[in-house]
Amino acid sequence: MKTIAIIGQPNCGKSTLFNQLAGYKSLSANFPGATVEYTKGQTYIGEEVAEVIDLPGTYSLSWYDDAEKETVKALFSENIDVIVNILDASTLVRSIELTIELMSLEKPLVVALNMMDEALKKGVYINVKKLESILGAKVVPIIAKKGKGIKDLIEAIENAQKPAKRCVYSKEVEKYINMVIDCIYKNNLKNEWPIKLMAIKAIEGFEACQKPLENSVCENVFKQAKFSLRDGLVIVQERHSLCMDIFENVAVVKKKEKRALEDKLDDFLLHPFFGYLSMLAIFFSIFYIVFHGGVPIENFIISVFDKIDTFLVHALYQHRLILAIVKGIVDGVGAAFGIAFPYLLPFLFLISLLEDIGYLPRIGFLLDSTMHKMGLHGTSIIPFISGYGCSVPAIMATRILKSKKEKVISAFLASLVPCSARTTVIMGLVGYFIGYRYAILLYGINILVIMISGIVLKKLLPGISPEMALDIPPYRLPTFKTLILKTWHKVKDFVFLAVPMLIGGSIVLTLISYYHLDNIINGIFKPFMEILGLPSSIAVVLLFGILKKELTLLMLYQALGLSSLSQIPKALAPNQMLIFTVFVIFYIPCLATIAAIKKEVGLKNTVYISIATLLLATFLAFSTKLLINII
Amino acid sequence: MKLINGELEKSYLVDSIDGGCMAKDRLWKLGIIPGVVVKIKRKAPLKGPFMIEVNGADVVIGRGIALKINIKEI
Repeated sequence: MKTIAIIGQPNCGKSTLFNQLAGYKSLSANFPGATVEYTKGQTYIGEEVAEVIDLPGTYSLSWYDDAEKETVKALFSENIDVIVNILDASTLVRSIELTIELMSLEKPLVVALNMMDEALKKGVYINVKKLESILGAKVVPIIAKKGKGIKDLIEAIENAQKPAKRCVYSKEVEKYINMVIDCIYKNNLKNEWPIKLMAIKAIEGFEACQKPLENSVCENVFKQAKFSLRDGLVIVQERHSLCMDIFENVAVVKKKEKRALEDKLDDFLLHPFFGYLSMLAIFFSIFYIVFHGGVPIENFIISVFDKIDTFLVHALYQHRLILAIVKGIVDGVGAAFGIAFPYLLPFLFLISLLEDIGYLPRIGFLLDSTMHKMGLHGTSIIPFISGYGCSVPAIMATRILKSKKEKVISAFLASLVPCSARTTVIMGLVGYFIGYRYAILLYGINILVIMISGIVLKKLLPGISPEMALDIPPYRLPTFKTLILKTWHKVKDFVFLAVPMLIGGSIVLTLISYYHLDNIINGIFKPFMEILGLPSSIAVVLLFGILKKELTLLMLYQALGLSSLSQIPKALAPNQMLIFTVFVIFYIPCLATIAAIKKEVGLKNTVYISIATLLLATFLAFSTKLLINII
Repeated sequence: MKLINGELEKSYLVDSIDGGCMAKDRLWKLGIIPGVVVKIKRKAPLKGPFMIEVNGADVVIGRGIALKINIKEI
């Protein structure tokens, strides 16, 4: 089976192309760094099935952050037959730099020139045939979002050839590069990189290529080359002017007289005053829509399941255990669809829309100075906002951050952002029974707590805080199909993981109460729950919540010994609902998130983060209890 | 002069990037290379970052970085 790797610079549409080829498997979004680990899929190339790999975007093969490192590692370790280098036609100059590096890998290469429509919008007309002859590799113009040119691309992949040309620098530069190459070759210092690329990257100061040369017999030659080429700047400048030359050769730019609509939109959305105002308005409207759209649906679905319950009680009243288990399952499914879906679906849809339009990096611009107070910078806003959808990709997105310090801080803070699971608790419990103003208040408190935690962490953790350097993508209108697929991709996890767990959980609860084990279990947690002012019977629910946060709400009424969700106010006072929800928002991340945190920042930090969140949640829930008592 | 002192809506030539700038590598890859012309498009309030245009693309860089980029008037 052939293996095809899709590689390109951040935000050029790799995942969109991958999804076109292999079906919707890779989450795409409109910000650099949306994909941080590689996804594999399969597609037909001609008659044959081939494996396609979607790699995280990288500006060059010399990686800067861990996401880029992932790409290069895959490129060298996987047995790749064809490289599909996707370029953003609207930022051609920069994109070709990567193409030049890829050419030196000497593997069959096809260039997919994406976003031709955007280039045209910018007034850039590209002569594809000319580009093809200059690069010495097949170039296929595509519009991945709309699926245009995909057929031609597949055909080109089938007939892919090794690039016919190489990048040659000026005599002087080549002389020094060759000096280093000779020495590497003679002394067998080669690593998995193509030797010329290794020499160039070493001179440019890229650690992975530089290391084998330091303290080696080649050190003197290497230092001489580095000095003469001004630490690689000469090479970088030559390569850049080569790319400029190529661009000028193949493209005609017609300046547009009218300022682009986009710039006008930015004038408003990035305005020193209106920018912040519109940001608040956007987030407020998302929560408003989700809440006001969700409540009537929740009412309807719950009433349907109440009727089924009544029917079941009549039909099965002679078999107590069977009734209890069947009712547990039906109620579980009812709660899942009744509470989670009305909030989860629209919420995830709107968050996806926000990601795809390209607003997230702009929030980074607006909030960079705020983030600095937390030892972070604007780029971290991307994991935070994705965190409102799900914590797992949010934690993984910290891979686009450079320093260990900002990674740990971001991972911790992103885990505090209420994900859509916790949003169902906030909306379905506090919003539904107490009022949506309280729900909004909880979101506000959450942001405040995150900021304070960040400020404290910045002081506690050693290391310097780096600065933001982020590419701002143009606004893009996602297709409806992409949005629906993306929302489904995110909801799928809920359907296939949370619902079975919920059914299992309700069976466990049923068995516990059937065999009267509840007293023993509740006794263990009683002292802790009393501190928080909550009934001890819901401790079990909080334990299940560590598996999946939705379960805290969906199993709540059953644990309280109620027959349906609508009866919760009978067993929990409004202040207890608030305390419970505050605890749920902040306590230990769910298992999947814990696994993601461990992967990104290591076991030790994961243990610290889990303990810290538990302490934080206890402290905040207790403070809520005190505060309510005072008021 | 430093990029941080540049004026809005004006274009400058990047002269050099100070040594010890952690983000130098990323800046090079984003096309902010000595000899290239950049235009300052926006400055965020409250000591926020700069948005600059390089080769037709928008890039946001923090003030700390803008402090380490030397520019020349054209």
